[in-house]
Amino acid sequence: MVTLNYKAAVIDKNCTGCKKCVWVCPTEAIHMEKNIAVINDDLCMSCPNCHGICPDDAITRVPRAQPKELQVPIDDVPIEDVHALCRKANLHPKQWHCLCTATRVHEAAAAVLKGAITPEKIALETGTRSGCTVYCAMMSMRLLEAAGHEVKQPEKWRLYPTTQTLWDVPQEVIDKYAGYFLEEDKDVFRKF
Amino acid sequence: MTYMNVKDLPRPAPGAIRPSQYGPQTETGLPRMRAADLPGMVGLPIADLFPDVPKAIYVEGDDLEPLRRATAKSLENVDMSMIKERSTVNILASQYGFMIMGGYAYREVIRTIKEVVEQRTGCRKIRLRVATGFRLKEPEEVIKHYGLDEMFDGKALPALYIDQGVPIETPIGTLMGIKRIYDADFIIHCHHGELRELDMHRMISRTMKPFSMSYARFETRSVHHMNFGPRSSNLIPRLVFESDYVQKKWAFGVFMAASPQGVTGIEAGNDLMPIDRKLALLAFKSYGKIRELYNEIKDCVAIIDGTGEPRYMVGGGTTFGNLTEAELDLFDLDTVPVSLGFGLYQPPPTQPKLKPVNPSIRALVMNHFWTGVPQMELANSCPMVLVGQEMAKLVEEDCMNIEMIHRCVTARDLPAAVNFARRIGGSDNLIVFDGSYGYLTCNEQLAELLIQRAPIADRRVEEELMPKWLRQRGFDPSEAL
Repeated sequence: MVTLNYKAAVIDKNCTGCKKCVWVCPTEAIHMEKNIAVINDDLCMSCPNCHGICPDDAITRVPRAQPKELQVPIDDVPIEDVHALCRKANLHPKQWHCLCTATRVHEAAAAVLKGAITPEKIALETGTRSGCTVYCAMMSMRLLEAAGHEVKQPEKWRLYPTTQTLWDVPQEVIDKYAGYFLEEDKDVFRKF
Repeated sequence: MTYMNVKDLPRPAPGAIRPSQYGPQTETGLPRMRAADLPGMVGLPIADLFPDVPKAIYVEGDDLEPLRRATAKSLENVDMSMIKERSTVNILASQYGFMIMGGYAYREVIRTIKEVVEQRTGCRKIRLRVATGFRLKEPEEVIKHYGLDEMFDGKALPALYIDQGVPIETPIGTLMGIKRIYDADFIIHCHHGELRELDMHRMISRTMKPFSMSYARFETRSVHHMNFGPRSSNLIPRLVFESDYVQKKWAFGVFMAASPQGVTGIEAGNDLMPIDRKLALLAFKSYGKIRELYNEIKDCVAIIDGTGEPRYMVGGGTTFGNLTEAELDLFDLDTVPVSLGFGLYQPPPTQPKLKPVNPSIRALVMNHFWTGVPQMELANSCPMVLVGQEMAKLVEEDCMNIEMIHRCVTARDLPAAVNFARRIGGSDNLIVFDGSYGYLTCNEQLAELLIQRAPIADRRVEEELMPKWLRQRGFDPSEAL
């Protein structure tokens, strides 16, 4: 369960309409109205991106009137389907999906199986990408790819749909770069 | 001088703290009391513990001139002929360099590089790019605090992992760099050799790591940390560095080499591999011994009291992360760490570690640190006491550790926090991470233990561990420092 106690808020008088916040919001929560950023509270995950990129100190964080709780119950989908999707993505079901919110891969897999077919939807349902936003995107992409959902490049650079795993390293690279434990580390993930 | 009696040890000298929007908002931005001012605290000299750890040419507060001379000298044999008068050049810096010893050493190295390149090539279009780990506003703070925009004639800019990307083709597919890092004809890679997160880099391609972290978009950082393992991940920076895209822009690298004593010298070159080997040898000799000594501590209360996030906070010239994993020999490449950074949540069956934080740390006192980095494992693994309401407010608002405030308690001041931590942790050994190099801030009781155990750690490294570390990386034993 992820509880969001905060949300982003625009300080209108500081906003210059540069749109940088729009391009980095992981859940498409920001749009422009009359050249001023407007935040959809229902979509805001209260991550640091919009505040962090704003060159004009026009975005701050404020408490929500009511905390927002997000969770996908794993029991909502057959556990064997969750495990099959994780296996296909070469992910362990109990591996961390998002370190900041302590969400594990099996919950995101359940979200995908319940119909979350974009990284944004996985984030909105599980609460992931409400923290650093750095590491969980890749896990979501791997699950979506394994489920057969193509991740498309959004406008500008919110996300670049590129993902490589240990299992994508060609044999000639494994042979060329001895000393990086490529085969051995596959075993680490398989065993744990 | 060797201190045989702990009563003769000098007073501790903690590093200066840089106020930040990511730290507790006290009246001054600084803690009301430093841990070094607690009764019975001493500064235990690293040189007395390990006399053969390489000596420093600079520690915080020293004259910067030796550092400047060392940087200029290290550049004498570096080929800069690719840089022409009309070229554009980006000097690449990372935020962590500015956390080391107050940041002025790193600043001086950067300044010297700029001046030498200008002098030798006639190039005047030299810009600075400051990358960050997680805290998106930190590069702005760094540029302002150290006057870097003035130093670079208005051409110092942050480079963020959410900024526009640039595709870098590698043998495993497209990886993503930050466009602003590479928006010049040439790049100069200016980094540090401080050990920091051994659980991640394992001294494999250490010099290249920023190419898939500091200089990379978040997608590629995520490939590095989450999609590859605790040793294989270090292939990602090497593939980026060796890509045609980066090599066409590559000029040279400059490293501030460090040991627990302080900055030991400057290493520069067009080829990173020899620097990589030098830094590894230095790390085995110096940090290897400190890590082993930390492993001799069977119970302690750790006090966090400096600039930055806990894992990267320095005590005795060595980051706290080295204490949290001291019971594992992470220089040994056969060891697989339990590292959240790789998405692992429990050890593989054959590995010994049971908790993500060294169980010898019986309690943690958080006097001053910055938030904005995922670090929940600390609060999950040992009792944590926050000092003061400002610290509690900071933790409560931290979106990267949203459960942390529910896993710790708050004390009104530092002495109260330490007393509580001692009782709940059942330990009277106090170790402090306060930014100090050359000396470890601790209480007399712990100092006595460390003085007694240092020869054991020293012998184990020299006779048992170092030969294995060298062999695993293809070094000849005669290369050991």
